[in-house]
Amino acid sequence: MEGKVEEKEVDLEKIKGEIRKIVMEIAELSEEELKDEADFTNELDIDSMQVLEIVTVIEKKYKVAIPEDKIPTCRSVQAIAEVMQELLEKK
Amino acid sequence: MRDVWEIEKIKEVLPQRYPFLFIDKVLEVTPQERKVICVKNVTINDYFFQGHFPANPIMPGVIIIEAMAQAAIISFSVVKPDIAREKPDYYLGKIEAKFYHSIKPGDQLIIHAEGEKFLSEGGVVKVCAKVEGKIAATGRIIFGVKPRK
Repeated sequence: MEGKVEEKEVDLEKIKGEIRKIVMEIAELSEEELKDEADFTNELDIDSMQVLEIVTVIEKKYKVAIPEDKIPTCRSVQAIAEVMQELLEKK
Repeated sequence: MRDVWEIEKIKEVLPQRYPFLFIDKVLEVTPQERKVICVKNVTINDYFFQGHFPANPIMPGVIIIEAMAQAAIISFSVVKPDIAREKPDYYLGKIEAKFYHSIKPGDQLIIHAEGEKFLSEGGVVKVCAKVEGKIAATGRIIFGVKPRK
């Protein structure tokens, strides 16, 4: 059982790393500026159009559709990674 | 059967009017694939040729982008008809565009627009404008949609 939990954690970290790269490129942020928990709007000045772009690029990369009702929760790297983990596990 | 839109139907969706309406006809609508194919007939009577350029009429790149953006709105409207019916405001967020050759009076611009992502509040659309099968411009348009106050 322990091994299974560890595997999930590794996946989340990998997803986070990939999402971080996408967010850094679209929002033009450095690695130091982009903390996983930082709120896109309030802390990173990322607007709704950039969120839409981030979500689109992520969907393309993972070949999954993020449902519209999940978009409002996509407010940080951490939050998107969790949404993606859930979607990828169901895939 | 192909769903062809004439100008009156286009005007129900696009808020732009003369001299800024750059779609004359919609040739194909495929909501399941989020795709539309639109036409802009370029003529010497288009107002921008007066100044761009008097001795060498070339359709300005910004107008090509606008035409592609209008095709993007049409693609949004076929996927989100309930929102489009409310006649919201559409605003550009970001554009990536490449231009391959110039467009001149007499050309027929065939614009392909394919939605990559549509939300109630915006969309990402891949666009490609062709003249006689040859690519004149390509782009990716991100736009927002807001209810009109």
